[in-house]
Amino acid sequence: MLRSLAVVLLLSTAALADTPDGEALKAMTWDQVVEQARGGTVNWFMWGGSDTINAYVSGYVADRLRADYDITLNRVPITDAADIVNQVLSEKEAGVTDAGSVDLIWINGENFRSMKQADLVFCGYTGLLPNDTLINWDNPAIANDFGVPVDGCEVPWNTVQFAFAHDSAVVSDPPRDMASLLAWIKSNPGRFTYPAPPDFTGSAFLRHVFIHAAGGPDGLIGPFDQATFDETATRTWAILNEIEPFLWREGATYPTTVTQLNELFANGEIDFSFNYDPAQFGLAVQAGTWPDTTRSFGLTDGTIGNTNYTLIPFNSPNKAAAMVVQNLLLSGEAQLEKAKPEVWGAAPAIEVSRTPPAVQEGFATIKTHPSVVPAAELAKAALPELQADWLTAIEKGWAATVGN
Amino acid sequence: MRADLRTLAGLALAGFLVLPLIPLVGWSVAQGWRFPDLLPDRISAQAWTFALSPQSGVLASFATTTLIAATTTLLAILIGLPAGRALGMYRFRGRSLVLLLLLAPALLPGIAVVFGLHGMMLRLGLAGTIPGVILAHLVPVLPYMTLVMAAVFARFDPAFEDQARSLGATPWQTFRTVTLPAILPGLMIAALFAFLVSWSQYLLTLSIGGGRVQTLPLLLFSFASAGRNDITAAIALLYILPGLLILAVIARRITGRGAALTERLHP
Repeated sequence: MLRSLAVVLLLSTAALADTPDGEALKAMTWDQVVEQARGGTVNWFMWGGSDTINAYVSGYVADRLRADYDITLNRVPITDAADIVNQVLSEKEAGVTDAGSVDLIWINGENFRSMKQADLVFCGYTGLLPNDTLINWDNPAIANDFGVPVDGCEVPWNTVQFAFAHDSAVVSDPPRDMASLLAWIKSNPGRFTYPAPPDFTGSAFLRHVFIHAAGGPDGLIGPFDQATFDETATRTWAILNEIEPFLWREGATYPTTVTQLNELFANGEIDFSFNYDPAQFGLAVQAGTWPDTTRSFGLTDGTIGNTNYTLIPFNSPNKAAAMVVQNLLLSGEAQLEKAKPEVWGAAPAIEVSRTPPAVQEGFATIKTHPSVVPAAELAKAALPELQADWLTAIEKGWAATVGN
Repeated sequence: MRADLRTLAGLALAGFLVLPLIPLVGWSVAQGWRFPDLLPDRISAQAWTFALSPQSGVLASFATTTLIAATTTLLAILIGLPAGRALGMYRFRGRSLVLLLLLAPALLPGIAVVFGLHGMMLRLGLAGTIPGVILAHLVPVLPYMTLVMAAVFARFDPAFEDQARSLGATPWQTFRTVTLPAILPGLMIAALFAFLVSWSQYLLTLSIGGGRVQTLPLLLFSFASAGRNDITAAIALLYILPGLLILAVIARRITGRGAALTERLHP
């Protein structure tokens, strides 16, 4: 409902240049930006479901902003970034171009594409941030957000790569590639399921099957191609329909959110969970939700990785302060803090080799949570994220042929 | 015998209402409580420590929610009491139309109202502010307040007011010493309704507040949808507190009956 509303609004929105305050900022030096940012308030809309991430932002980040820049950080917990895209859209519709309610959003993928297409983003300022030099913009996985060029419209915050979790006390030797996972599902009826798309995580699992059916990602990179899609999709639906009777509750129903998947796993009803951000596994163990014997792994034929970002809407009235927040989040110290497993365990979005020696040492001493597969190990077999048009086509096709 | 039965029925009802809350207490201190375990692995204050810490914003949100619900209730009384008196005591042209309009917000699905309301608040510059959220909450709250007050005033005998006035009381004295005591039990019920309806708003607060006005239901949903049963339970227990408190305070008073609140003397 909200999504279709967004589409209607998108179609009726004319292109709009950046607001004057944004243009003025881009002409300033960093010191002038910081000067303007002082005393400001930043309303940062971000997913609020993790107490540790919340504590990192409202604690470490907010404290440093207050002490160093006299900036008040107001963390606004949300459930779905798509709601905020709609909110900025309706503000634009109502002619609110310089007094928007959102200063910063934690975002990526489809939501970024929607905002960029509707000209809802403040762009072209990232070079001003001193810590921009820590970002490797030559890395296509950083410079493109789900295949959409970033174009200086958002700043990377974390990198993640898809991984599977299992309880080593229950399944001691899990399957290590997609083919053996599919075989495992058939020989262990009722012990596996995946969230129905459009759930973010369920949709990502589908793409792994899709890439497997295509025999690798090579033919799927780049813009959407109907012929390739039709051919691969036929095979994908065949695979998924074949395993359906062996899924949890014979595939008669699917979980609708990754939360439900996690709960089924926590209660031992299924043997695997999976997530785009493996750090979540460690957090679930720390929270006591998952057993201590939880372990995680990637697939030898690769798992999909992506980057998540922070973005300033075009109508934010506190752009300067939001830029200072982004710059702080990028700093080696802040990235190191959130990489600590007890804080969050999130993989950095910056090149650690470009940070000061003390920070590099800090990164070197970090011990990943035993339940979290190290990012370096996952990175050995990484798959690129498909462009958003593929995503929507796969989700629609699933609903028509598998989830019917 | 009849008294015993009544006690039994009362206990059953109380149990029915309280039982679902017991697992909440368990969840809020449990660590590693997995199906099919009867008891959790560990007991921990982790969820409570987080919920009560300044970083979580739960206490700040509790204060915001209380402020909004209390102000909404007060405004609803100011509008709903005179309106309820007019509707309950007088027959006038268009009365049923007014009643229908008053009921409309309670009958229409909230989501239908929200989008238009949001656009209006944006243009007024009230979106994302506490006053905006309070105004929005008045939409579902006013029907309850007005209709309860209308029912109260339908049984109110204005002859007692006339007597007070003829004995020399000022309008304010009359209201304070005659009208108010008579309608107080009904007013308290209406106020309780108003407070709780505002207290439990989710959709209206989310859209009009734009996420900037963080009431407890929003915070609760954000943790519930993330599967954090422990924190959700801790916040949920804080969330039901005001309702229980108010009920405890006014429960004894709402049974009283004033002299002026009898069957009407005049048709």
